[in-house]
Amino acid sequence: MASSAINPGAPAEEISAEQRVPDKNRIALRRTLIGRFARSLVVAFWVMFIAFSLLRFSPGDPIRLALGTEATEEAVAEMKKLYGLDQPFFVQFYDYFTGFFRGDLGTSFFSGREVTAVVAMHLPVTLMIILLSMGAAVLISLPIALSVALSRRPIITYFFRTSTSISLAIPGFFLALLGLLLFGTVVTWVPAAGYEGNFPSNLKYLWLPALVNCFSLVPILSRVLHSSLMDTLGEEFVETGVIRGVGKLKFYWSYMLRPSLAPTVVLVSYMVGIMIGGTVVMEMIFSLPGIGRELIEAVSTRDYAIVQGIVMIFGFIVVFTSFIGDLLGYLLDRRVTLS
Amino acid sequence: MSKKGRKVRREGTFGIIVGAGMMGALLLAGLLIPLFGKYDANEISAEQLMSPSSTHYFGTDMLGRDVFARVFDAVFVDIGTAFTGVLIPLAVGTIVGTLLGISRNRRVNSFIGSLIDGINAFPFLIFVIALVAFLGAGLGSIILALSLVNWARYARIARTRAVVVNQQGYVEAARTLGYKPTRILFRHIIPNVSSETRAYALSDFIIVIIAVAALSFLGLGVNPPQAEWGAMIKDGANIITLAWWAAIFPGLAICWAGISVAVFSEGLTKRIGEGNQQ
Repeated sequence: MASSAINPGAPAEEISAEQRVPDKNRIALRRTLIGRFARSLVVAFWVMFIAFSLLRFSPGDPIRLALGTEATEEAVAEMKKLYGLDQPFFVQFYDYFTGFFRGDLGTSFFSGREVTAVVAMHLPVTLMIILLSMGAAVLISLPIALSVALSRRPIITYFFRTSTSISLAIPGFFLALLGLLLFGTVVTWVPAAGYEGNFPSNLKYLWLPALVNCFSLVPILSRVLHSSLMDTLGEEFVETGVIRGVGKLKFYWSYMLRPSLAPTVVLVSYMVGIMIGGTVVMEMIFSLPGIGRELIEAVSTRDYAIVQGIVMIFGFIVVFTSFIGDLLGYLLDRRVTLS
Repeated sequence: MSKKGRKVRREGTFGIIVGAGMMGALLLAGLLIPLFGKYDANEISAEQLMSPSSTHYFGTDMLGRDVFARVFDAVFVDIGTAFTGVLIPLAVGTIVGTLLGISRNRRVNSFIGSLIDGINAFPFLIFVIALVAFLGAGLGSIILALSLVNWARYARIARTRAVVVNQQGYVEAARTLGYKPTRILFRHIIPNVSSETRAYALSDFIIVIIAVAALSFLGLGVNPPQAEWGAMIKDGANIITLAWWAAIFPGLAICWAGISVAVFSEGLTKRIGEGNQQ
């Protein structure tokens, strides 16, 4: 997408940023940034509203369901009052909305734990898995895409396209099971259970879930990177690089990867949602104390306050990362003209 | 025809045939094996955890049920749920998106547009899990949840496309000829918009097949004892060191289904790409 722009130019380091971004473009940039940010805020508001109204999709009375069939009328009424569910819908939403800015997302129906405390306790593990799997995905995809793009042999490209689309059809939880079977019983590289919270020692528990999780990302990532590398290879400045005889490393980085990175970076930020879904499944299989397992447990006990809070936080994470991704995509490839 | 057909065999034919054949074989097996197979899918027997043999091709599970019968008994449950869960959002999303794309009301447009963005912001699987939690577990809730979540993705694609299609010459021509707006919408605009959403639906089908199984794997799908791939993997996972076959075969069935769609869609993409070049 970006590389089809008219201005091929030499790669980044030879011209300073000041020259590259004319004033007009900079004003447009500022305006676009503010616009994108405002849009993200609107979407974030919708995310909160949807997460909040989820409770209304429930057939029957969630409180009664939560308390069980033996609960008395008084107990139900009392609990409703406690959670403000006797108020009209929009009053409840207003309370939830203002509560959010005070750092209050309500409390669990059963344990009385605060939702924010649950999130704060379990989110780091989940974020760690996501970061690890994204890092692994980038490390695996880069050489694959680069070597396929450089080989230019049709048979290799064909094999690459077929194998990536086939590997997308393999469910992560099945792969995780195979991994567990292989690394847990055949060779014992993965501890059977348990978890340690501190950074270097928790890698022992996290490397396999992260590796399995990244397999849903590698095919998509390497395909997009491959096609933008092919676009870049067709540009004139690549030939210039060959003619000038620049060093191999510098050629790979400045002439090929750097101009092709923007679409990939934007894509990675959009993929965070898929990664979150995969991570939930991984946490269940490897029994890791992440927020996804907390979500599934809350779902099975019908702890709606927790479900609503966790779903909303995940929505916010996606809105935030897409915004950052768009921003990075622009900064990496300023040939993208803003209107 | 045969001589000529061989010479100009169109690009992607191989993938389309292989993909359709794999899916067809799976559906046929799902139809015939429950009817004519040796064992009933839910028949409990004393032959527990038997390894694969000539009597039990895929072995037996913890309750002595035949895994072979169960894997193929689940075909229509899994594929059917996923298929319906793609078809409904495809139809709803295409129509809503097209209407948004051609409507001139900016306020409605930006209001529903931001709602669509809001729905799309949620991680797919998380949103479906949450909806199923509130709707109650079961295949009906899964289909409803998939529809409530996924229509927005189709609507976003359809809206972008409808804006373009609406300005095309043939639509202008139909207007000039004085056709009714509904006729223009259904005969001229929607067919051209839906080519894009249908292409997306094919890749979405793979994701949804996996998601349906994943939901059952997480315990939000079918009620036991109904055979279903995700639920079978979940049960088999607990005993995987004793009896690998109880979880591996249903997993291979999901892979088979997903790969057949992937190969088919790869072939179709190639053929469409070829058509565009000509």
